[in-house]
Amino acid sequence: MAATTGSAERALEGLRVLELGDFISASYGAKLLADLGADVVKVEPPRGDSVRDHGPFADDEPHPERGGLHLFLNANKRSVTLDSTDTDGRDLLLRLAESADVVIHNIPPATLEERGLTYEAFSAANPQVVMVSVTVFGYDTPYRDWKGYALNATVASGISNRIGDQGRAPLWIPYCAADFQGGVHAAIATLLALQVRRKTGDGQHAWLSVVEVVGSYLGGSAVPGFVFSGQMRGRAGTHMDAFYPWQVTPVADGYFEVITMVDEQWQRFVELTGGGEWADDERLQARWQAWQWAEEFDQHWHPWMREHSKAELVELFAKERIAFQPVNTVEEVVHSDHLRDRDFWRTLDHPEAGEHLTLGPPYRLSRTPWELRRAAPLLGEHSAEVYIGELGLTRADYDGLAARGVVA
Amino acid sequence: MLALEGMRVLDHGHVWAGPLLGRSLAYAGAEVIKIEPPGRASGVVMGGAVARAEVADDDPRRYHDYDRGKYGITLDLATEEGHELYLRLLAMSDIVVENFSAGVMEGLGLGYEALSAANPGIILASLSATGATPGPWRDLRTYGPSLAALYGIKGLLGYLDDPQPREDTADLDPTAAGHAMVAILAALEYRERSGLGQHIDMAQGEATLQRIAEPVFDYLLNGRVAGPQQNRYPGFAPHGVYRASGEDRWLSIVVRDDTEWAALVAAAESTAPELAEPRFATLAGRLAEQDDLDAAIEEWTVQHDAFELTQRLQAARVAAFPVMGPPDLLADDNHEALRRSGVVIGPRAQITVDQLYYGIPWKLTGSTGVIQGPSPIKGGDNDYVFGELMGIDPAERDALRDRGVI
Repeated sequence: MAATTGSAERALEGLRVLELGDFISASYGAKLLADLGADVVKVEPPRGDSVRDHGPFADDEPHPERGGLHLFLNANKRSVTLDSTDTDGRDLLLRLAESADVVIHNIPPATLEERGLTYEAFSAANPQVVMVSVTVFGYDTPYRDWKGYALNATVASGISNRIGDQGRAPLWIPYCAADFQGGVHAAIATLLALQVRRKTGDGQHAWLSVVEVVGSYLGGSAVPGFVFSGQMRGRAGTHMDAFYPWQVTPVADGYFEVITMVDEQWQRFVELTGGGEWADDERLQARWQAWQWAEEFDQHWHPWMREHSKAELVELFAKERIAFQPVNTVEEVVHSDHLRDRDFWRTLDHPEAGEHLTLGPPYRLSRTPWELRRAAPLLGEHSAEVYIGELGLTRADYDGLAARGVVA
Repeated sequence: MLALEGMRVLDHGHVWAGPLLGRSLAYAGAEVIKIEPPGRASGVVMGGAVARAEVADDDPRRYHDYDRGKYGITLDLATEEGHELYLRLLAMSDIVVENFSAGVMEGLGLGYEALSAANPGIILASLSATGATPGPWRDLRTYGPSLAALYGIKGLLGYLDDPQPREDTADLDPTAAGHAMVAILAALEYRERSGLGQHIDMAQGEATLQRIAEPVFDYLLNGRVAGPQQNRYPGFAPHGVYRASGEDRWLSIVVRDDTEWAALVAAAESTAPELAEPRFATLAGRLAEQDDLDAAIEEWTVQHDAFELTQRLQAARVAAFPVMGPPDLLADDNHEALRRSGVVIGPRAQITVDQLYYGIPWKLTGSTGVIQGPSPIKGGDNDYVFGELMGIDPAERDALRDRGVI
């Protein structure tokens, strides 16, 4: 194993992953594996992963090596290009799979079949390979060949039915949260399949539907309640209809998330606002029902909130150990002292994008730390290294394939 | 053959993120033991599937959504005897999951140092809100929704014409739980090679922050500060949720390039002539006139049934899907994952609860996982765990019970 920066051991050292990821879902799953030490070879079509066209770009000037989402998702990976619609390209991909532990992708099932890149083909090349497919509608549903993006998956899961205002459009969870959740679970499925392989010696096909991933946590959890009570809950707006208080409340210079399930916190808060008989109302004692009269109860303390700034309230609630928190902007988060003290932000140097900040670890493992070893690869940066150096193609064969555009 | 068969997990999860993580580990075949303090009910009850008021403390439906498939024991960790019993159980375990505030486990004398001294292979996953290391947010009280506000996530959810964010559905918790599962499984890989466990310090806010990398980069690169996004997404137009015919019916439509747009225009045929206007023909044009575009699309969609229009658009290879509510999900074949727990196939259906649940979100050929049983009654598995597993005889268990340890 090539020596790189950092002396600590890596949790996924030696794990070889082929990623055929486009945009977010499979790519984020592979990123999670790469950041814990896996060797992820990102196999891109000759024109590159479409995330390279997406941005955000500095000064909004598109450049395939400089997009923020690309820099974030693809750090720590190596990039090779390969045209999988070409027969020679397909053969090359299957040869790459011979030495891989994992193939992770989000290519629609019909496209995979068309190209002869099914699990059967990969498994014939390498019976131990774990193939992980994360697509919007999964492999075993009537919609598997439908087209979908993160927004479609979000509303299909059932969750949007609860978000937004009654009478207005239901809302998604922005910036493709569903795709990220799909990626997280693709990484989970990968590691579970590796546990099984350790016991049986066999690889297998694991698959996930982004719709079901989101449904299993959020959208689907409304269904048992509906069956149990027969009641259909609508969109929550600014007040969640689960208990009181759980709401977004205006303050002098912005908004606060006001939520607590602990009676003592609620009482301390009421005292802060000056108290009053209203707080003894019988209906407020059963707080899982009190949300029904939110409008009435809100009147007693909303004016107090409006008189105070975010900064004042932050200090007050921290002192009183109340769980209400300010709605911060990304700007406030980037400059937060807490994330600075946690050494959260990291710097990478990239030949095209230059030195740039990026997000730090989602978790900290004491013995095998999450780490950034290299910035996102240039398109096809590692083609020769992988195809000649590792797969053993001759320079002449490689040049021939490159001349035909099969690799680059 | 289940992935985590033979693994034992001690689950101190409460509220949502912790219990969800334990649930996933149980799905994958681990024996997950939920530990609660004896006596009073937990301070916080997330009923989820059922209205809290209608369900008694000892009714497993109370936690069914989050604790199914787990064993339930009671143990007072603050007593010396309880502490000792815990360390004995720990020696037989692989993974500990907790989402207390930072420092609580240390306060109980059960920080990572103490746990690893008793069992060097133990993997401790701590899902605090803001992380275990010092910083001004370390000791803040939070819940998922207020943590999402603190970390800049909530401020992105809402309508374009109103700066006030709307409520999420606490989706920070499952995002954090999913990430923690990845970290635990990676730590198991390392333990396989080294024999050593480790401590996972996860700030739930930092795990969830990952999925707003895009607006964070837009700020870092361009100084732009994103507000509520409604249903829009940079570089895509249309990208929205549109009103359909009928009472509160809606469908999502996403178009990424001009080919998809041409297909949509063709599918609309003569019913929406405005969509065929040249100003909408290119992505740049559609992005520049997105308000007009959305209005023109909704004029068309509102005349049609959401499901029929979805079929028509999908036939033309355009990404569309209706907004689904519980009755739609129940009727829909795509959600075969919805099952009845009355037919639990796990080994220990001590109680049969006839209730729907949503299935396991990953499929592994022959080893997806299993719903091992319904949620445990609090302490319902004390005899199994303290007796069968740890070999404490009935008389001694009674004595422990009398002393309030279990």
